[in-house]
Amino acid sequence: MLQQLLNGLFLGSIYSLFAIGFTLVFGILDRLNLAHPSVFAASAFVGIWLTDAFDLPIWLVLILVFAFGAVMGLLIERVAFRPLKDRPDAHFAGLISSIAMAGMIIALLQAAFGPNTRRFPVGTIPEDALNMGDLTASWLQIIILVVSLGLMIALSLLVQRSSLGRSMRAVAENPTAARVLGVNVDRVTALTFAISTALGAVAGVLFALNVNSAQLGMGSAIELKGLAVIIVGGMGSLSGSLVGGLVLGIAEVFAIQYIGSSWRDLIAFALLFVILLVRPEGLFGKRKVREV
Amino acid sequence: MLFTESTLVFIALNGVFAFSFYAVLVAGQLSLAQAGFAGIAGFTAAALTPPPLQWGPIPTLLFAMVIGMVVGAITAVILGLPTMRLRGVYLAIATLGFAEAIRIFLLNSDWTGGAQGMSVPKTLTPAVAWVVLAIVTYWFARQSRSRYGRALEAIREDELAARSIGINVGGHRLSAFVAAGVLAGLYGVMWAYYVRLMAPEDFGFSTAIDGLVTAVVGGTANFIGPILGSGFQTMLPEVLRVTGVEASWIRPFISVLALLLVILFLPGGIASLIPRRRQKVDVAALQTDAAQLSLRTHPAAGEVVVELKQLAKEYGGVQAVRGVDLPVRSGEVVGLIGPNGAGKTTLVNMVSGLIPPSSGTATVLGVPIGRTPVHRIAAAGVTRTFQHSKLFNRLTALENALIGAHVVAKPTFLRRLIWLPSARRDERIALAHAARCLDRVGLLDKANTLAKGLSYGDQRRLEIARALAADPSLLILDEPAAGMNHVEADGLSALIKDLSADGLTIIFIEHNVGMVLDTCDHIVVLNFGEVLADGTPEQIAADERVIEAYLGAADEPDADDTTSAPAQPAEENSND
Repeated sequence: MLQQLLNGLFLGSIYSLFAIGFTLVFGILDRLNLAHPSVFAASAFVGIWLTDAFDLPIWLVLILVFAFGAVMGLLIERVAFRPLKDRPDAHFAGLISSIAMAGMIIALLQAAFGPNTRRFPVGTIPEDALNMGDLTASWLQIIILVVSLGLMIALSLLVQRSSLGRSMRAVAENPTAARVLGVNVDRVTALTFAISTALGAVAGVLFALNVNSAQLGMGSAIELKGLAVIIVGGMGSLSGSLVGGLVLGIAEVFAIQYIGSSWRDLIAFALLFVILLVRPEGLFGKRKVREV
Repeated sequence: MLFTESTLVFIALNGVFAFSFYAVLVAGQLSLAQAGFAGIAGFTAAALTPPPLQWGPIPTLLFAMVIGMVVGAITAVILGLPTMRLRGVYLAIATLGFAEAIRIFLLNSDWTGGAQGMSVPKTLTPAVAWVVLAIVTYWFARQSRSRYGRALEAIREDELAARSIGINVGGHRLSAFVAAGVLAGLYGVMWAYYVRLMAPEDFGFSTAIDGLVTAVVGGTANFIGPILGSGFQTMLPEVLRVTGVEASWIRPFISVLALLLVILFLPGGIASLIPRRRQKVDVAALQTDAAQLSLRTHPAAGEVVVELKQLAKEYGGVQAVRGVDLPVRSGEVVGLIGPNGAGKTTLVNMVSGLIPPSSGTATVLGVPIGRTPVHRIAAAGVTRTFQHSKLFNRLTALENALIGAHVVAKPTFLRRLIWLPSARRDERIALAHAARCLDRVGLLDKANTLAKGLSYGDQRRLEIARALAADPSLLILDEPAAGMNHVEADGLSALIKDLSADGLTIIFIEHNVGMVLDTCDHIVVLNFGEVLADGTPEQIAADERVIEAYLGAADEPDADDTTSAPAQPAEENSND
């Protein structure tokens, strides 16, 4: 029982890390970047390639993938979002242009790595496990938990304490006012995208390590779960995504145990749907005053 | 060989699927549930339809198609009803999740054959596929110029404005959803009866994306779009094959690249390259066209049309409007003045039904305010303009006024489908009515100009024309003279007096006090959400409290503004 809870926590922390990047862009910039999951998949492949080809240690791979994700974020913002920002239908157009970016990234990934499943080489992570009483946790699981919680804590410190974070919150509140007050909105926007996808990229590597495989379709598989998490947590709420991801991970582990694995994936959508209908602003989101 | 039989069939199939996206895109809704609709419809139809030996291939196929359409429609209602309140991103996510849930359901059910799927007899012929596509295309061709089609466009352009002129946004959205469900269901069945083997994986996220690409690349600018998109999407792999491009990633890459280029540089899709035939008005023909829309009889002069009792609105602890009692009598021109943040816009928002009061009661033209939807209140005869104009920007002035006539014009879509002459006549009458409304505000010579291309003053007048087109008994104008010059404001004042002479009741928010004193029969002064004074222009001009709070404001003109401005976060400042 307690072991299941722990396993759910490990899985859930990856979901949280993925979703927190996803929701960051929405919370600050009011845009949904549907290319986020493709960065998740791309970085898993890139991570495996780095490990395979250059025999790099995993901590270095994680740092490089973080940088890769940041660059992808800048690119996505530049190509798919910035040109649209002054259009009246920018929301709608941004969804579609980011879907297009996602498709292009996946197609290029296939061009570079082929359609087959890839794996990390044996021995990337020490195989042995830690025992604490009845509980076991592998090194892999501990790395996953430490890295994802560490990044999320760093993110919340950044948003709450740093001057960049203050600018981000200002832009979230009112971009026009932020611009008037001297905030470089374009720069803050680009950096928000970079941070967001960098977190998604690390989540991709951790996920690929966890299931020991990377597939071209892994992004769309987690995309819907990520959306479920950020809806449940409240669009734009960082703490909501953290809690939502952990809850989903635990719920899935228990669902496999008690309902059977084939229905596991339905959990996320059931949650998503119920929350959307009952409380669209999510469990942690703020209720917006109606705009008239 | 570029055009094989299967290419031909797939152009038709993908065209039908693209139309299922088009059906909601024209109303500005992004739904990604179509693959799910197609999946559940395809499997249900295949499970319920007997093998073709019994009835022969074509009747079997028709039977399956009917089942598919019914299942698609039902599924769309099941999704559409609860998600009625969701907009934009949230709607896209909910529909995506719904489709995924259907896929998982199909995958885990026994009757669908699980991951193996089902095999289905191949009965679809190119002829049948193209006949279906032709019927669907015809349907949307006739929809675009009907009252229904215009209402969908209005929802796409500005949902709030659409509601305030009496369009039942929820109902229209739902019917657009059902159309999407029917078409997606039809596609699912036809697809299954052509490729012969279907599995739940065939109706996943990538199928939805393919459909979206087809519809968006083809464009929603006119009904040819989905066919153009389908031609592109279907021919692309064929062209690549013929030119010897082998790599399997190139096709998806080019297709999403096209999607990106279209959304960045050609938002209307390929179809927008075909010039759209706008509805033009022939000024000369107007006078001879004697037939008119049946117009309302306004309540008799002096009858109470608006009755507010202790009406109050609170926003998170801030009292925007507190305990307003106000009767408005038919035929009056009521001026509503007061400093910024006094609660004027909040008050008229409640009267027009856009926001529910926190307490108190209000009856407008016999309709109780609070739980009555905005479009019902509009149908009862209340229309309004907005502080920041909310025009249908990508439509012409004439089309704006034509949509404004929604509640008085007759529905024409179904009659247009069978070319009934009466539909044509009703459309002509509505057009003439819209033109007369433009004429009334002096915009007839700009009838064929896009709303976004009009000058600021003209946009304000177009908003009035659009509100007038609904033939209201109560017209609410929120700062109509803002940004107008002297001459324009005088013209507006004359227009208001003229409308009042026709028996209209007018509530009118304005900062131009001279104009209000000159135009109104009755002036209400609001301050801090309360009625400060209420009387004839002479009484108000002489009232010392009013002079102190607003008119004179000799000592500290800004004091009221700074203390009360934060009280209106959701009201006066966020009207765009």
